[in-house]
Amino acid sequence: MSGKRLISVPTEFAPASLSRRGFLGGAAVGVGGALAADMRAVNGLRAEEIAGELRRGEKHVILLWLAGGASQLETWDPKPGVKTGGPFAAIPTNVSGIEVSELLPKLAQRMQMTAVIRSLNTKIADHGRGADLVERGRLDDPGLRYPDLGAVVAKELGRLESTVPDYVSLYTSTEGRRKGTSGFLGARYAPLFLAENMSPPNSALHEKLTAVEHQDRAALRDLLSKRFSAEHRSSTVGSQNSAYQRVQGMMASAGLFNIEQESAEVRARYGPTQFGEQCLIARRLVEAGVPFVKVARAWWDSHGQNFETHLELCADLDHCMSVLLDDLQERGLLEKTLVITLGEFGRTPGINASLGRDHFASAWSCSLSGMGVRGGVVHGATDREGHTVVDGEASAADLFATILQAVGIDPAHEYMVGSRPTPLADFGAKPIRSVLA
Amino acid sequence: MQLPASNTVAAVQTTFLALRQGHWTLDDLHTQAQTLGRDWRHSVTSVLLTGCVCCFVMLTNAAAATAALPQDDSLAVLIDSAIDQQNASNGITAAPQADPETLLRRTTLDLAGRIPTAKERDWYLALPEQTRQSQLVDRLMQLPDFDFHLRNSLDELLLPDRPNDGEFREYLLTAVRERRPWSRMFREMLLAAPAEGPDKGAAQFVKTRVRELDDLTNDTAVLFFGVNISCAKCHDHPLVADWKQDHYYGMQAFFHRTFSSKKNLVLEKPYGGVKFRTTGGEDRDADLMFLTGTVVPDATPSFSDDEKKAVEEQIRRLEREDEAPTLTVSFSPRQALIDAALADQQQQYLARNIVNRTWARLLGTGIVDPPDQMHSGNPASHPELLKTLGADLVQHEYDLRRLIRSLVLTRAYGRSSVWTSDLPAPATQTFALAIARPLTPRQLATSLLVATRSPDSWPAVADTAAQPEQWLQKRTDLENQANGWMREFEQPSRDFQIAVDEALFFSNSDRVQNDLLRDGGDRLVGTLKVAESSRQIAVLLWQTVCSRTPTADETQAVVDWFSRAPERRVNDLQSLAWAVLAGTEFRFNH
Repeated sequence: MSGKRLISVPTEFAPASLSRRGFLGGAAVGVGGALAADMRAVNGLRAEEIAGELRRGEKHVILLWLAGGASQLETWDPKPGVKTGGPFAAIPTNVSGIEVSELLPKLAQRMQMTAVIRSLNTKIADHGRGADLVERGRLDDPGLRYPDLGAVVAKELGRLESTVPDYVSLYTSTEGRRKGTSGFLGARYAPLFLAENMSPPNSALHEKLTAVEHQDRAALRDLLSKRFSAEHRSSTVGSQNSAYQRVQGMMASAGLFNIEQESAEVRARYGPTQFGEQCLIARRLVEAGVPFVKVARAWWDSHGQNFETHLELCADLDHCMSVLLDDLQERGLLEKTLVITLGEFGRTPGINASLGRDHFASAWSCSLSGMGVRGGVVHGATDREGHTVVDGEASAADLFATILQAVGIDPAHEYMVGSRPTPLADFGAKPIRSVLA
Repeated sequence: MQLPASNTVAAVQTTFLALRQGHWTLDDLHTQAQTLGRDWRHSVTSVLLTGCVCCFVMLTNAAAATAALPQDDSLAVLIDSAIDQQNASNGITAAPQADPETLLRRTTLDLAGRIPTAKERDWYLALPEQTRQSQLVDRLMQLPDFDFHLRNSLDELLLPDRPNDGEFREYLLTAVRERRPWSRMFREMLLAAPAEGPDKGAAQFVKTRVRELDDLTNDTAVLFFGVNISCAKCHDHPLVADWKQDHYYGMQAFFHRTFSSKKNLVLEKPYGGVKFRTTGGEDRDADLMFLTGTVVPDATPSFSDDEKKAVEEQIRRLEREDEAPTLTVSFSPRQALIDAALADQQQQYLARNIVNRTWARLLGTGIVDPPDQMHSGNPASHPELLKTLGADLVQHEYDLRRLIRSLVLTRAYGRSSVWTSDLPAPATQTFALAIARPLTPRQLATSLLVATRSPDSWPAVADTAAQPEQWLQKRTDLENQANGWMREFEQPSRDFQIAVDEALFFSNSDRVQNDLLRDGGDRLVGTLKVAESSRQIAVLLWQTVCSRTPTADETQAVVDWFSRAPERRVNDLQSLAWAVLAGTEFRFNH
């Protein structure tokens, strides 16, 4: 059975997928050419890179998504002692001259791994569109849906013949239904979204079937779908066949999500929280070669009781991210893995009547650690009370370009979508050089 | 189609010639149309196909402007004329009509929300060819299936993020069953008035968005009027000259006073307006401005400071207390928006949007595509046709059933989705080739439930007609059962991509293995079990699942499958049924 490849390969490159029992013989060639013409254009342009597979599967991104929008003032850009500052102090870090909120004491001792950007101005302060913008580095144009960061990284860093998924998005109970989108890159790069629990659903062989029966049945399905797929070439029709071709690989990699395979000591280190366990899964996944893992931690949307909320959530972030960075470093993975903390926006400097902070996208922060990042630096600055960016203003597009650059992807590289050249990061995006190694 | 008598063609040509030269008035056209009678529609087609473009433009202009709209059965012909004419002038030859089995499946999925049963297939194939499609359409539109499916389609359009909102779905079903005009449904949903009764759920459109004014503003514009003005919030739209900040805030002004009470009623404050800052830095009060640029006079009475204080207190109580006295207003901006939209005779945003969305649902892509980009920068593929269909809808009291019926009777709808010519396949908006559309979660769930029961467990067509109550009960059960399955599938979006999750669900879930593939006597697999030969299995399976006879290759694949395992174990039967149910063909409406 050569159908062990995990990620479904653009089908024009797919080898024949034969049943072990050989029932269908040579007839079961993967449902060839069922991708739409536009996808062929996207893939075809990059065909020359398929030869350069060697470097792929060795670089990774872990996105710690702070869903709802974390406060920059209680994390990376504290303003103690001013009207907007809130009750928490700033503490020195192990890099002289850099202070962060006292809610991040462990990360403060790991500043040499991390670059902080304090000057994001992304303008959009509603959850849905803010997240769209930050995750894709731009908003969709009419008729053109852009892939998000995970999908771009999956496409650029994923290995065609890999036996693991290449974009995994771990659920949280409160983040809602945001699954991530691969936009014009199509289903091949859509995330494996874990919506119910911490292992991919339906990834185990059913007790009533043998592995051979399972494979034979899949081969029969492919054979019987061949005519329809050849007669109806569209990316949607193609995606259905791609999905079935990924089933075997997905089943084979399900064990990666089982943290019981880790020692009790490692598990204790990450802790028993959902976020901790998901960070551990993220480490297991990148160790196995998964290019992009998103772990969402929610819900930072502290319109009321901002300070209590951050007291609780920052403790979780501080602990889990510190353990993750240490663990990656100890395993030699940090130099190959970029860890990002980011949400859809920050929070208002002004404190409202419910002691909350509201949505705020014009002067907020994020962090980058590990691969390609110059640790121990701060880029940009906000004014005394945190209302505006006064130095080093960066847009969502700039951040997107910076992240790509950090892991060695050229942000100006263009995909052809139909006849329209489309750069990976938006037109005019400038990587933030000062945070890049 | 019957060819028109040649003298009729000549009469129509004379008519158009006279019109073009300005000799005839529209009244003359009326008279002439009546004289020509039923043959009129065929003749129009014939004339148009001979290449008389300007005649068509004149016809549709005239139609839009006056009562000279085509009668019921001719709207479909008019649509085909417009499409064929444009394709003819662009040198595009359309795909032939789909074969009857394909058309039966397509039409049943689109009108009944499910695949046809084997008995429906037998009935259909026995109908006389000339009237087959119209008899099918008429039957399906009388079934309770039609109301369920239209309800579901409207639900998917209007509350896409809440696929199982019971109140809203109940309201839509009531409205669809009573054949309420779309204009009335629009009014009911935006007024969000009744607190009790079957219409209570109408308020859900507003209620579910009331906390995010931007969502309420933009979703109303997108879903009811087909325009997306969100880019015009921060600045005049950078790409669309039509949309200015005044439009965005003008639309928002209609919703600005809307709030929900503690009891979850949608209410309006008696005064208050929207202020915004232009990109030029000027602070401006937004007018109540509709998309057409029409400004509604603000009839809000003035309030003294004391009165305002009392109102504020009342609102505060409504937001916090269950038993607060309610608030009545003398001027309702939401009512003003409804009135403005219904008074829009020029651009007919409300009508054209639902025409375009219905068209897109049934033909795979809209006359305006994307459907929320109705503006001068994104012209319709067939602008005059869209105008005509909008005007026709308004004239016929926003009757969605008339529109739907006309669309599924067109030849454009009935075309094959397979392109066999050596020439490159035509672009989607030529409507020269049908598009394979992924099933919606409900269509897929309901169809799986139909396909995996024994074909004998469904009633004959004569029985559904003789005992409508029994079928209603059965179909209601099916609808409810589908609720439990649809969650496994995703609502198709633009450039929809089927996720690996779905393939994993089909491949490994308990529900598929133990429920859909169960081998009891009332089930598909149970029926296959007692079939006499591999060939008979193939016929039964394909007729039940794919609504068609298997090809020779497919039959041979089944014969081969069982030649390896002649004892025909249940597992092998299940695997075979699975391979067809999980196949690409079943997943699409093609």
